[in-house]
Amino acid sequence: MNPKRMLALTRGGIMESLHYRMSIFVTLFANLIYLVLVYYLWKAIYDSSGTDMVNGMTFTDTMIYLILATALFNFLEMFVVWDMSRSIQSGNITLDLLKPMSFRKYRFWSYTGNHVVQFVLSFIPTFVVVMIVTHGAIRMGVNLVWFMLSTLLALLINYNIEMLIAPICFYTESTWGVNIMKETIVLLLSGATIPLAFFPEKIRMVVQYLPFRAVYDIPLSMLLGKNGADSLRGLLHLFGLQVAWLIVLTIAGNLVWNKAVKKIIVNGG
Amino acid sequence: MSSEALVMKNVCKDFKVLNRHEGLKGSIKDLFSRDYKIVSAVKDVSLTVNQGEIIGYLGPNGAGKSTTIKMMTGVLEPTSGEILVNGKVPYKNRTENCENIGVVFGQRSQLWWSLPLIESFKLLRDLYMVPQKDYEEMLELYRSLVDIEPILHKPVRQMSLGQRTLSDILAAFLHNPPVVFLDEPTIGLDVSMKSKIRELILGLNKEKNTTVILTTHDMGDVDALCRRIVIIDKGAKIYDNDIDHLKNYFGSYRTLKLRLEDDTWEETLIDEKTTDVMDVIMEKQKTMKIKDIKILEITTEEVIRKIYEGSER
Ligand SMILES: Nc1ncnc2c1ncn2[C@@H]1O[C@H](COP(=O)(O)OP(=O)(O)OP(=O)(O)O)[C@@H](O)[C@H]1O
Ligand SMILES: [Mg+2]
Repeated sequence: MNPKRMLALTRGGIMESLHYRMSIFVTLFANLIYLVLVYYLWKAIYDSSGTDMVNGMTFTDTMIYLILATALFNFLEMFVVWDMSRSIQSGNITLDLLKPMSFRKYRFWSYTGNHVVQFVLSFIPTFVVVMIVTHGAIRMGVNLVWFMLSTLLALLINYNIEMLIAPICFYTESTWGVNIMKETIVLLLSGATIPLAFFPEKIRMVVQYLPFRAVYDIPLSMLLGKNGADSLRGLLHLFGLQVAWLIVLTIAGNLVWNKAVKKIIVNGG
Repeated sequence: MSSEALVMKNVCKDFKVLNRHEGLKGSIKDLFSRDYKIVSAVKDVSLTVNQGEIIGYLGPNGAGKSTTIKMMTGVLEPTSGEILVNGKVPYKNRTENCENIGVVFGQRSQLWWSLPLIESFKLLRDLYMVPQKDYEEMLELYRSLVDIEPILHKPVRQMSLGQRTLSDILAAFLHNPPVVFLDEPTIGLDVSMKSKIRELILGLNKEKNTTVILTTHDMGDVDALCRRIVIIDKGAKIYDNDIDHLKNYFGSYRTLKLRLEDDTWEETLIDEKTTDVMDVIMEKQKTMKIKDIKILEITTEEVIRKIYEGSER
């Protein structure tokens, strides 16, 4: 893989995302509404519990976690399933297969530009606001490095989950349902909408080892020093989990995708 | 100067399609149906194209032209037979093959929708690893062939269909591939854009010795560009020769045009071997008044139509 190609695609992606700059403001506005909702919901939960700590998290902890999860969601969100189903239906998939590099890589590097833009224009401002409002509740140390690393892994894992699901559209020809299902499962089981600490014990035991957690819960744990991310052993465990899932999902994604391509090449797009 | 750019040997392509049933009941039945039928889109086509040739790949709707092009580009695998493009099997080395071909599917665009054309060019330059010097030379060549300045800084989204097609053709030639496939590149364009595009293709073919495989339903394209044509019908090759040869073959045909009293022109195709033109005129004169007469050589359009009709029988 030549870095020139990756860079060119990323650069193009940045320009394309900036072209739709209004959509970034719309996203930020939508987030605001969502977060106000979340604020009152969790306030009610904490008020009714009668204690400051619920499942080991204070109200402030929970809010910081959920706000950052939302910002991370904007950053990590991908439309692979959506785009792929559209290009299958319109037949444009043929053109994507005619690029001088592998389809999976081509697609991935077509998205990176958007991630860069979202990170700079959505995640960083949110992070700064949280820092100011909470008077520095987030530690500014080596945890930032772990967070960045872990977020990069999360990005790759998320892409591979998408690439694993997208070929389903080849068979079902309906995407909407598939996409909603994927979205719901990922958002719920990854800890993006409810911190994993609030899950019932038995479910949490399972969810802890699923790949979805590696997308939101682990990077945020690294940032906030939670779930053992403040010890070396804990860090190794969390990174190990991410890397293991990345390997498994990449291999599985490759197999599924190659089968899907075979289907196109044999029976037409 | 006559190395083979493309070789096809006994290529066949079958599609397996579900036999769909009518109505709601049928749709539900289809959910579990294993009732497939085989559609033969391309049947036993053999073809050799030399470097630098422009081939008109013609045939009526559904003849199998696009299917053939897809096999040549490597996005479809032939059911049987052999294809070599630049000496390689396209579907086996798809990404590698893509570096050495250019493709335009009329009414589909490979350009970046929201970016100005020049940015799409730069992206393609890097994707295909074109050296900066070659890239600039190519842009110079483009400038000498068409007026690209007005579209160069325009986002593709804002272009007219004609401008976009022109852009897509430029994009397909940008990495100077030895072979370019154009599947109906002039579909939906006006007369002046068509002629612009024809000049461009001809110029690039001359300058870079690019092999061009062209499918079209516009015989103007064929007249302007192709010395050789290949015709397929219902998947099978029915003609492969020089265009002059074709016209000779139908050389005895004349188009008789008669201007009638209400100033409309009536056209009749006449084979001089079997019918005398004068007889036809005389016969007509008995029933109507003729104000003007023209006798023309047969056009490519009519030749092709005759071949299509001939193969239907
Ligand atoms: N993916 C596919 N699955 C099933 N049948 C197909 C598929 N693609 C093409 N066909 C069938 O193969 C035949 C040839 O189609 P093709 O698109 O190659 O024709 P064409 O010569 O390009 O026609 P046109 O001039 O209308 O573009 C048609 O009968 C078509 O229905
Ligand atoms: Mg076609």
